[in-house]
Amino acid sequence: MDGLILGLDLCDAYTQVVCGQGDKSWTLPTVVCKKKTEDLWLVGEAAYASALAGDGVIVDKLVKLVKKDGTATIGGVKYGGMQLLSRFLMQVLELARKEYGTDHVERLVITAAKVDQRLLACLFKCREYLGVAEGNMSVISHTESFMYYVLSQKREVWNNQIGMFDLSPDSLCYYEMKVLRGMRRTTVLAEREELEESFSLDILKTPAGARLADRILCSCGSRLLQKKAFSSIFLTGKGFEEQEWAKEFMKLVCARRRVFVESALFALGAAYRAADLTREKTGYPYVCICEGRLDSSVTMKVLHKDQENQLVLAEAGESWHEAGKEVELILDKQDYLEFIITAMDPKKKKAVRLVLEGFPKRAEKTLRVLLKIGFLDERTMTVMVRDQGFGDFFPSTGASIRQEVMI
Amino acid sequence: MSVIVCRPEQVTRPYYVEDLGVNIYSSQEFCYAIYHHPMLFMDKFRDQDIIDFIRDQLGMGFVAARMEQRVKSGEKSEEVMFLFMQECDYYTAAEMNRFRQTVTSLKKLPPLEYAKKKTDYLVEFKQYGRAIADYQAILEAAGEKKDDFLACLVWNNLGACYARIFQFQKAMDAYDKAYGKKKDLDILEKMYHLTLLDSGLELKERYQSLMSPELKEKWDKDFEEAGAKAEESAQLKKLKDLFQKDSVKRGEGAAKLVEEWKQEFRSMA
Repeated sequence: MDGLILGLDLCDAYTQVVCGQGDKSWTLPTVVCKKKTEDLWLVGEAAYASALAGDGVIVDKLVKLVKKDGTATIGGVKYGGMQLLSRFLMQVLELARKEYGTDHVERLVITAAKVDQRLLACLFKCREYLGVAEGNMSVISHTESFMYYVLSQKREVWNNQIGMFDLSPDSLCYYEMKVLRGMRRTTVLAEREELEESFSLDILKTPAGARLADRILCSCGSRLLQKKAFSSIFLTGKGFEEQEWAKEFMKLVCARRRVFVESALFALGAAYRAADLTREKTGYPYVCICEGRLDSSVTMKVLHKDQENQLVLAEAGESWHEAGKEVELILDKQDYLEFIITAMDPKKKKAVRLVLEGFPKRAEKTLRVLLKIGFLDERTMTVMVRDQGFGDFFPSTGASIRQEVMI
Repeated sequence: MSVIVCRPEQVTRPYYVEDLGVNIYSSQEFCYAIYHHPMLFMDKFRDQDIIDFIRDQLGMGFVAARMEQRVKSGEKSEEVMFLFMQECDYYTAAEMNRFRQTVTSLKKLPPLEYAKKKTDYLVEFKQYGRAIADYQAILEAAGEKKDDFLACLVWNNLGACYARIFQFQKAMDAYDKAYGKKKDLDILEKMYHLTLLDSGLELKERYQSLMSPELKEKWDKDFEEAGAKAEESAQLKKLKDLFQKDSVKRGEGAAKLVEEWKQEFRSMA
């Protein structure tokens, strides 16, 4: 192996790291602890041990801390969420580095339940501190990770719909994936639903609590799986490490279906994606639509060689944080830009017009603008248009517009 | 109504169009300049510096190679120019057809008329020094051909050029020659206005006898109106505003303005 190919599942309770195609994995609580007497930082179980011994100060729920832009004060020093998370991640990566005797990270894919802008920005800021080269790190959602994991299994496993229950200390989630064939490109759709019926895993410690949990899961299972043909069902999360307590639920899901239990599923999915990114040609030649990826394409009509063409600004299936385009356009006899947003269902096609108010009125074909497209999340596109001027003929007026468009 | 996607072009050394006094930074600007000022470019497209700019700066190596090929095969400059414009995809086929017609009609002009039209372009862009030299060359050729009508127009334009660079005596002589070719009151009016601009100048007696008191009164009025209009010009307003600023800003602004004027005069002369 030239460098490490890592999948890292970052959750508030536990973090899992998988190296390569699952050759080696580590699971540790997402906590960081600083020794009271020295500048020594510990993570995972060692952090708990130090805190229990009373010689360290522990900080947990690091993801939540980052998302709310919070801080923690240890020994009179205030640390930002990002600082603590990067210390934690550094030591997590160190486990793989030590094991394989290399510092070089060829590809790192981090997966988290919900990837918002703040978490994303924080993780990318941590990248340099972690010693990962620019462009060698990606962040994906759990839904996307689930998709890569399933698509990496034998084809018969994902012929029809695929369901998955994730029972973690933080939440109970249901995932569903289906493959749409017969389209221009095979499209894979995956969704995640956070179930209101979530419960603390502590209740599993008593027989009555376990029975209650089993009943809750059965009711969720009946509701979510009824009248649907599933190729397979996956179970993941700390709660499913043991299934003894969930006899009725297991009976329900195993009825005429294949059921797989994989505790490190998200980390594995991320590792499969990491390995795929190192290849020249992707092993997943599908349009993947899920949380973290766009479900609509954004195009614009342009004139090329006297023919009306579509300029693709963003394509369905692209990661929202990687999608975007920067292009210079010349507007001929029009003072607006029109974006065509096409969802999976072509009937839902819509046009959004952005009138360039405050832009100069110039001679024909001399209004040159810079169009920058970006995304704040799967549904919010940011559009920035700026007057670029037309060389020495018409210097830029500096007029610009920034607008958010719901897609 | 349409939107055109611009080719990404990283121009580090722009192409300077002396006649327009502008730098060209993109293929779109180049097409725009050609389309609106064909006279300035239609004879230049066999020049290597243009082809080099297209290849090295605009990054259109393939187009430049085709242009070079056409130049070698002896194709006309305007045809090489059309090839470039078509490849840029800035103008539509209909616009290009119209442009071709314009260029063809210009090319059909008799050589001296074509040369005059080209020189008129220089005047339009305040390149008076170059225009004077070109007009003189045309006058020599026109004299040989005994074309009085053309000679009158050229002497008239030459007079205007001299007047613009404040060489009023030479301007007066040029208008005098123009009037000699064609007895036109407009030329006489210009000569009269020159005497108002420069008190050292005097109208020849034969011209004074042609001016009725009513005509003189009308021309005086026109001169005054032109003066009043000049008072309202944006440039003068800018100057007045400058002198109302504090001494530091005024000094900086004045230095900048004088430099602009110097450059303008240098390019004129």
